[in-house]
Amino acid sequence: MRRYIARQIVQLVVVIFGISILSFGILHVIGDPVLLLLPQNAGKEEFERYRHLLGLDRPLYMQYWSFASRAVQGDFGQSWYGNAPAFRLVIERMPPTIYLTLAGLLVALLIALPLGTIAALKRHSFVDTLCTMVAVAGQALPIFWLGIMLIIVFAVQLRLLPASGYGTWQHFLMPSFCLGAALAPITMRLVRSGLIEVMSMDYIKTARAKGMLEWRVVVKHAFRNACIPVITVLGLQFGQLLGGAIITETVFAWPGVATLTVDSIRNQDFPVVQCAVVLLALLIVAVNLLVDILVGFIDPRVRAGV
Amino acid sequence: MVRPAAVVLAVMLVLGLALSAPALAQTKEDTIVYSLQSDVDSWDPPASVLREAIILGYHAFDHLATRDLKTRKVGPNLATSWRNIDDTTWEVKLRQGVKFHDGTPFTAKDVKATFDRVLDPAKKMTARGNHAKIKSVEVVDDFTARFKTDGPYPLFVERLTAQVMQSEKAMREKGDQWMGENPVGTGPYKLVKWSRKQEHLLVRNDDYWGAKPYYKYLRVRIIPEKATEIAELLSGGVDVIKAVPPDQMDVIDKSGGARTATSPILRTAMLQLDQAARGGPNPFTDRKVRQAANLAVDHDSIIKHVLNGLGDRVATGINPMAFGWDPNLKPYKQDLAAAKKLLADAGYPNGVDIVFNEGPPTVEPAVQQTNDAIVSDMAKVGFRVKRNYIGDNTVLVARVKEGKFGPMFNWSWGYYSVFDADAILYDVFKCGESYSYYCNKELDDLIATGRNSLDAKKRTEIYVKAQKLLYDDAAYLYKWGLRGVWGISNRVEYTAPADEVDRLFLATPRKK
Amino acid sequence: MSAVGAPSGVALGADRVAPMPAPPTGMWWRQLRRLKWGVGAGIVLLVIVLAAVLAPWISPHDPLVVDIRHRLAPPAWMTGGTQEHPLGTDQIGRDLLSRVIYGGRVSLIVGVSSVLLSSTIGILLGLAAGYFGGKVDWIIMTVVNVVLTFPFVLLALAVIAVLGPSLPNMIAVLGIAGWPIYTRVIRAETLALKEREFVTAGRALGMSHLRLIFRQILPNLVSAGVVIATLQVAQVIVLESFLSFLGLGVQPPIPAWGNMLGEGRVYMLNSWWIAAFPGAAIFVTTLVINLMGNALRDWLDPHMKL
Repeated sequence: MRRYIARQIVQLVVVIFGISILSFGILHVIGDPVLLLLPQNAGKEEFERYRHLLGLDRPLYMQYWSFASRAVQGDFGQSWYGNAPAFRLVIERMPPTIYLTLAGLLVALLIALPLGTIAALKRHSFVDTLCTMVAVAGQALPIFWLGIMLIIVFAVQLRLLPASGYGTWQHFLMPSFCLGAALAPITMRLVRSGLIEVMSMDYIKTARAKGMLEWRVVVKHAFRNACIPVITVLGLQFGQLLGGAIITETVFAWPGVATLTVDSIRNQDFPVVQCAVVLLALLIVAVNLLVDILVGFIDPRVRAGV
Repeated sequence: MVRPAAVVLAVMLVLGLALSAPALAQTKEDTIVYSLQSDVDSWDPPASVLREAIILGYHAFDHLATRDLKTRKVGPNLATSWRNIDDTTWEVKLRQGVKFHDGTPFTAKDVKATFDRVLDPAKKMTARGNHAKIKSVEVVDDFTARFKTDGPYPLFVERLTAQVMQSEKAMREKGDQWMGENPVGTGPYKLVKWSRKQEHLLVRNDDYWGAKPYYKYLRVRIIPEKATEIAELLSGGVDVIKAVPPDQMDVIDKSGGARTATSPILRTAMLQLDQAARGGPNPFTDRKVRQAANLAVDHDSIIKHVLNGLGDRVATGINPMAFGWDPNLKPYKQDLAAAKKLLADAGYPNGVDIVFNEGPPTVEPAVQQTNDAIVSDMAKVGFRVKRNYIGDNTVLVARVKEGKFGPMFNWSWGYYSVFDADAILYDVFKCGESYSYYCNKELDDLIATGRNSLDAKKRTEIYVKAQKLLYDDAAYLYKWGLRGVWGISNRVEYTAPADEVDRLFLATPRKK
Repeated sequence: MSAVGAPSGVALGADRVAPMPAPPTGMWWRQLRRLKWGVGAGIVLLVIVLAAVLAPWISPHDPLVVDIRHRLAPPAWMTGGTQEHPLGTDQIGRDLLSRVIYGGRVSLIVGVSSVLLSSTIGILLGLAAGYFGGKVDWIIMTVVNVVLTFPFVLLALAVIAVLGPSLPNMIAVLGIAGWPIYTRVIRAETLALKEREFVTAGRALGMSHLRLIFRQILPNLVSAGVVIATLQVAQVIVLESFLSFLGLGVQPPIPAWGNMLGEGRVYMLNSWWIAAFPGAAIFVTTLVINLMGNALRDWLDPHMKL
C-alpha cells in the first residue's frame, strides 16, 4: 500500500512540475510583459528600468526559479489591476467554486444513480431506451444555454429563486442543478455500464441461485462492486466537473475562481490568470491523488500494480 | 468499504457547514439593493474618475455644497454659507456639530487637509484638474475656511459639490492605502464590508447630522452582465439599476414588478480620436480623417432606432444643459460621398484600418448596439474597424490615462455633475490632461480665459468660439447627450436623478 | 497462436502482410436498421454541412449588412415579422437566418480544423509512445497526464489569454488542448498490436520502423481514431461557442453561434429569437454529431472502451 501511495506522489510531483512550467510559460510566451505595463510613449530608459525591476533581463531558468520558489510560498505577485496580491484574490474565491463543484457532483449522482440503475436492470426495455435518449440529448445541450433558460424560468418568470449571486441555499439550487444536469448523462451511462458488467459476474448468479432477494443482490453485491469503476471515473471526472463549474459560474455570476479567471483574461491581468491556473491544477491533481488512493484502498488489484 | 451513502452524507455535511456561513441580520424590509456593473478600485473618491466612485462617495461622505435636484440650484451642505472677500478669495462658513464616522468632529482643518491632498501634484489625484484653480486653503477658525484661487474662479461654488470632505485624522494616521479601503466620512451610510468585485454592504449612520435614510442597510451589488442585472431587477434581487438599454424598457415596464424612469443627464458621449498621438502615430492625427469619421455616421438614425429617441444630438462635447452651450451650431450631417473623398484626399483611397477600444455599458445605455451601428456606418466609407472590448472599468480607465487606448475609443463624460462647459473642456479636450487625446494650443488658451473670467457674457462668447473650433477641427467623433434610464422596483419610491448621482439614501418604500 | 480473424489477405508482397480490418459483414440492410439513429443523424448532419458550405448561395441576405431601421424584427410567423427575414433580425437589423447559416461555417471550420490538428498530433504521439516504449513512452505519457489534468475549458481559456481571441487562435487552442485523448487510446491499441504476428513478422522481414508503424499498425487504428475524432468535433463546437459567448472566441461581426448567443442574451425576454435560433443550431448540430459518433463506434467496434 505504501509503495502504491509513494508511486502516486512521485507522479504528482512530476505533474506539478509540468504545470508550473506551463504557467510560467504563459507569461513569457506573450512576448514582452513590460510593453503591456508601460504607456507607449515611455522612454527607453523606463523600459530598461522596468525590465530590470521585474527581473526580465535575467536568463530564463533564473526567472523560472524565482517564479517557482516564490510560488511555493504563495507569492504570485501583485495583481496588475486589483490592488491586492494575486494569491489572495484567487484563494478568496476558491470556496464558492469548490462548493459549487461538490454540489454539482451531488446533483449528478442524485440523478444518475437511480436512472442508471433502472436502465441497467431493465436493459433494452423502453425505460432503458428512454434514459439513453435523454442522456444523449442532455450531452448535446450546452451548459450555458441550460443555465440561461433556468434563470429565465425560475428567477424572472416564476420569481422563485435568485437570478444570480451567492449566499443562501436558494442561490445554490440553480447553478448546482445546471452543473449536475450537465454531468448526469455521462455519469448515468457509466453507472449503467458499470452495473451491467458487474451483474453479469458469476458471484451475482451465485447469490441469485442461493435464493437471495433481487433487490438485495443489487444493493449488497452489485452496487458495492460497481462502485469501483464508477468512483474511479468520477474522480477523474473532477477535472471535467471543474470545467463545467467554470461555465456555470460565468452564467450565474457566481463569485468563484472561474469568473475571476475570465475577468482577468479580459483585462490581461496575467499574475491572477497564472495563479488561478496553477491553483486549480493543483486542486485537480490533489483530488486525483485522493481518488487514486481511495481506489487503491478499495480494490486490491490496483494496489498490486496493474 | 466506502459506501455511497456515507459519501453523500459527508458531502451534505460539508455543504451545510458552508451554507451556515454568517448572513448578516438584514431583512428584505430594512435593506435596499442597488447594483453597479463595475466595481470601484478604491473608496477614496478623489483618486477615481469613475461615476461609480462619485455615487458611492455621496453615500459615505458629504460635500461642502450640494445641488437640489428639483430646483437645480446649489445649496449649503457641510458649508452653511460662503462669500467673496475679494476677486481671488472665498470665505466659507462650516456647519457645526458634524461628526465623522469614527466620532471625530468635522472642522476647518479637515477641509484644508482634503484640498491640500487633492491638489498635491505628487499624489496625482484624478480630481486635481477639477480644483486646480484653488491655490490654497487656510484655516481661519474651527468653522471658517478661506480659499485662495488662481485668478477669479466663477465655478467655485459649483465645484464645491464635487469634492467630498475627508478626515484629516485618517490622512495623518493611516495613509492613502488604508483610506482606499476604509472610507471615513460624515455621510448618511457607513461601510461595513467590501467584497471586491462582489458587493459592498453599508449601514445607516444613526448619528448623521441631516435627514437619516429610511433603509437601515444598503447593499451595492456588482453585476457585470446587463442581462443578469435586468433579471435580478425583475426577480426582486435588486431594487434600483441604471443605464438600462432602451430596448429592454418594455420588458421592465410590462413585468409588473418594476418600472423605468428616464431623465436627461449631463453625460455626453463621443468617440475619442487620438489626434494628439498619445498612443503613437495614427490616421486620426490628420483632420481630414477625423472629419471623414464624423461625416460617415448617421447619428440621428441611431438615436431614433437604437435608442428609441432617448438621446440629444450634439455638435461637440458640450451638453445642451451646460452653461456655454451654443444652440446655433449644427452637428455634422451624414455625407458618405464627402467622407470617402476626404479619406482619399488624406491618402487612404482604399480605406484605412483602425482599432476601436470599447468598454462595458455601465453609464451609457445600449453602447454596444450603438457602437455596432457606428462601426457599420464607418465601414461604408472605408474605415476597417477592429474592435477590442475591455470588460472592466478600472482597467479601461487605467489604459486611457496611460495613453494606450487610442486611436479610437468609446468615451463619455459626466462633467462631475457641474453644469458648465469648462467641466468637460478642461478634462477631455485640454492638451496633456489624463483623459484628453486632443492637443490644440488655441483651444487651451480659450479654456484658460474662460476659467478666469467672472463675466457670464464674456464666457459665453469664449465657449462659442471654442465649440466652433472643436467642430471645424473635428477633434473627436461627436455623438449625443445621453438620457439616463433607470429600472426601479415597485416596492421602492425613487426619483431618477438628473445629475446622474444615485442617492439611495433618499429612497423610501412605496405606499401600497 | 493464430489471431482471431485470420489474415484474409495473403502476403501479396512485402507491403501487405497485415490483415485488413474485417469489414462489417451481414446484410447491410439489417446493419442499417440497427444503426437507424446514426444514419438519420448522419443525414441531418449532411444537410447542416451542405448549408454551411453553400451559405453564400442559399442565404437570403448578407449576414453583415446592418439596417437599424429594421432591427429586432420578429420571425415571419409572428406579428411584425416579414417574409423578407424568415427568422427575424438581430439588434442592428442583420438577417438572422443568414447569420445562423454562416455561423455554421465557423463552427464547422473550427470543429474540423482543430480536430484534424489534435488527432494528427495525438495519434502520432500515441503511436510513438506505444511502439517505442521506454523513455519515449514515459515522456509522452507524462506530458499527456499533465495536459489531461486540466479541464479542456481551463486550458483553452489560459491559451486564449495569451494569444488573444480570434478564429485562427481558437483553432490552435482547441487543437493544442485536445490531443491527449487520442494518445492514450492509440497508445493502448498500439501496445496490443505490437505483439501481433504480422508486426513481428514484419520486423523479421526487415521492415523499417516507419513502414511498420504507418503501413501495418496505423490502418488498424483508424476506426478508433475516427470515433474519437467525431465525438470530439461535437465537444469542440460546444467549447468554441462557449468561448465566443464569453467574448473570447470569434469576434463579432463575424457570425458565430456562440457570439450570437452572447449578444442576444440581454434580449431573451423580448426579442428571444436572437439567441434562440443559434442556441438551437448548437444543440441540433451537437446532437447529430454525437449520435453519429455513437453509431460509428457501434458499427466499427462495439467493444471499444471509449
